[in-house]
Amino acid sequence: MNNKTLNFTILAICSLALYGCSRPEIVSISGSTTVLPAVSKAAQAYQNRHGQNIIVNAGGSGSGFNQLAEGQTDIGMMSRDITEGEIARFSQHVFTPIAIGRDAVVPVVSSEIYEAGVTQLSFAQMTDIYKGRIDNWNAVGGPDKEIFVIDKESSSGTRQTFFEIVLGDKKAEAAGADLVIGSNNEEQTAMTQSDAAIGMLSLAWLNEDVRGVSIVTDIGVIIEPTLENVANGTYPISRDLNIVVRGDISPAAQGFVDYLLSPDGQDFVQNSGYVPVNKPAHSLEQ
Amino acid sequence: MKARFSTLSARSKNSALKTYVSASCLVSAGLVLLIFGLMLVQSFPALSEAGGTLFTTRWNPTDNQYGMLPMLYGTLVVMLIAMVFAVPIGILAAIYIAETRSEKLRRLTRSALEILAGVPSIVYGLIGIAYVSVWVANGLSLQTGRLILTAGLILAIMILPTILSLTTDAILNVPRDVRENAQALGLYRYEVFKDAIWPVAKADIAGAALLALGRALGETMAVMLVIGSIDRLPQPLYNVLSSGQTITSKLGREVGESAFGSTHFSALVLMSLILVSITILLTAASQHFFRAGRHV
Repeated sequence: MNNKTLNFTILAICSLALYGCSRPEIVSISGSTTVLPAVSKAAQAYQNRHGQNIIVNAGGSGSGFNQLAEGQTDIGMMSRDITEGEIARFSQHVFTPIAIGRDAVVPVVSSEIYEAGVTQLSFAQMTDIYKGRIDNWNAVGGPDKEIFVIDKESSSGTRQTFFEIVLGDKKAEAAGADLVIGSNNEEQTAMTQSDAAIGMLSLAWLNEDVRGVSIVTDIGVIIEPTLENVANGTYPISRDLNIVVRGDISPAAQGFVDYLLSPDGQDFVQNSGYVPVNKPAHSLEQ
Repeated sequence: MKARFSTLSARSKNSALKTYVSASCLVSAGLVLLIFGLMLVQSFPALSEAGGTLFTTRWNPTDNQYGMLPMLYGTLVVMLIAMVFAVPIGILAAIYIAETRSEKLRRLTRSALEILAGVPSIVYGLIGIAYVSVWVANGLSLQTGRLILTAGLILAIMILPTILSLTTDAILNVPRDVRENAQALGLYRYEVFKDAIWPVAKADIAGAALLALGRALGETMAVMLVIGSIDRLPQPLYNVLSSGQTITSKLGREVGESAFGSTHFSALVLMSLILVSITILLTAASQHFFRAGRHV
C-alpha cells in the first residue's frame, strides 16, 4: 500500500467514524392529538436531560398507526385500539400497544347551553341527537334553540370511543351532524364559536367556554366528568391512551418509552389532565 | 485554422445544448404521463369493487360505500362562487388600472399583487377560520361560518391577483395603433375601450379567468379549514349556507388515514384523477383562448 492510498483509507475511516458518532438518531412519533400533549411535554424534558432528538407530530390515531407500520416513525400514538384490519394489513410486523394513561371522552356543550340548564345527558338522548332524531335543545331540558351537532372524522379515536360506548357502534353514521372536524383543538375552536353546539372532547380539553356535561345512567345515577371518576372506573366513556411500537423498535425509541412509563414520565401524563397508569389513584389531585 | 476550430466547438456546444433541452422536455412530458398512468392503475380497484356506489351520496369506507357526489358537487359550487365574486371585480379593477392610471401606479399595484399571490394558502385558511367564517356566521346569524359560501369567498380572494394581473396585461398588450385608430375616429373614451380594445383583449381575459379557475380547483388547505368537511349534499341543493366538502378537502382529511392499496385509497385516487382531468381541460381551454388572442 503506497502512502497516498494509506492516507486516503485513514481519511475514509475517520470520516465514517465521525459520521457514525455525530449522526443524531432521531426518534419520531406521530398520531392522536389526544395523546400528543403528554408525550410532547415528556419528549421536551427527555430531550433536555439526555440530548436525544425527538420529533412529535399530530395526525390522528389512524395515521399514527399507518406511519408506524410503514416505518416512517418509531412510535405511534393511538387513543383507540388497533383494529383487526390494521393488524391484518401489516401482518409481517408485531405491534405492541402500551397504555401510558387513561382518559375520558366527555360530551361537551356550549357554555350558553350549559348555563341554560343542560348539565347532564343520558346515552339515549345523545344517541338521538347524533342520529338526528332530536334537533332542538328544548327536548333535553334546554332553551328553544336548534342543536348544532359537531361530529369528528371517522378515524378519530375520540369519536370511535364515544360512538362505541354511547351509540353502540364505533363506525355509526351521524345523520344529525352539522359539521365534521378533525383534531381536538379544531373542535375546541368550533365549540367556542357556536352558542348552541354539542360535541365530544377528551377530558384534558375542557375549559370555561367548552363545558363537559355529566352522564345520567339508566338507573338515574349522575356521574360527573372528573379525574377521580375516571381513575376509579365509574365514568363510563373512558379509554386507554396508548403508544404503539413495532417489534423492531430502535434502542433510542425504547429508551423514551421506558421514560414515559417511569414516575417522571407519568407526571407529564397527569399534568396534561389524564390519569397516569403507574401511580396510585389516591395521589391524584385536580 | 483558428476560425475553423471555433466554429466546430460552437457547433458541438449547440448540439449538446439541443440534446439537453430535448431531454428535459421528454422528462417533463414523461412525468406527466407517469403520474397519469399511476393514477389510472391505482383508481382501478375502486371502479371494479365499488363502481356501483360511486355516484351516490353516501361515503362510508367501513361499509364499502364510496359515494362521490357530495365532493364533486362541492368542488363545482365552490369554484362557481369564487368565480362569481372574483371575475367581475378582477376585470373591472384591471380596466380601471390599465386604462386610467399612470405607469408608476401600475407598477406599484403590480408588486402589491405579486405579494398577495405569494401568500401561502394556509395563511388564507387561518384568516378564514379566525375572521371570515366568524363574520359570515355573525352576519347571517348562523351557528357556524364553516360553509360552502365561506370557502368560495376565501378562494375568490386567492384567485383575484391572478385575474387582475393577467387582465391588466391583456389590456396593455393590445397594439397601440388599435387604440390610436379608434381615437382618431373621434370615439369617446369608453367607446375606444368597448369597441376597439375589448374585442382584441377578451380572448386573453377569458384565458386569464380559466387559469385562475384552475388554481381555485386545486386549492386544498384554505378550503379544508373553512368548508366544514361534511360529506352531504346541501338541502335544498342551492343552499350554499351549509357545510360541504370538496375533492381536495376530502383528500386532505383522509389520505393519511387510508392504507395504500385499499379500496378506500383507490377511491381517493379516483377522485384526484377526476380533479386532474378537469384541470387539464381547463388548461387546454385557456391555452386555446390565449392562442386565439394572439391571432387577432
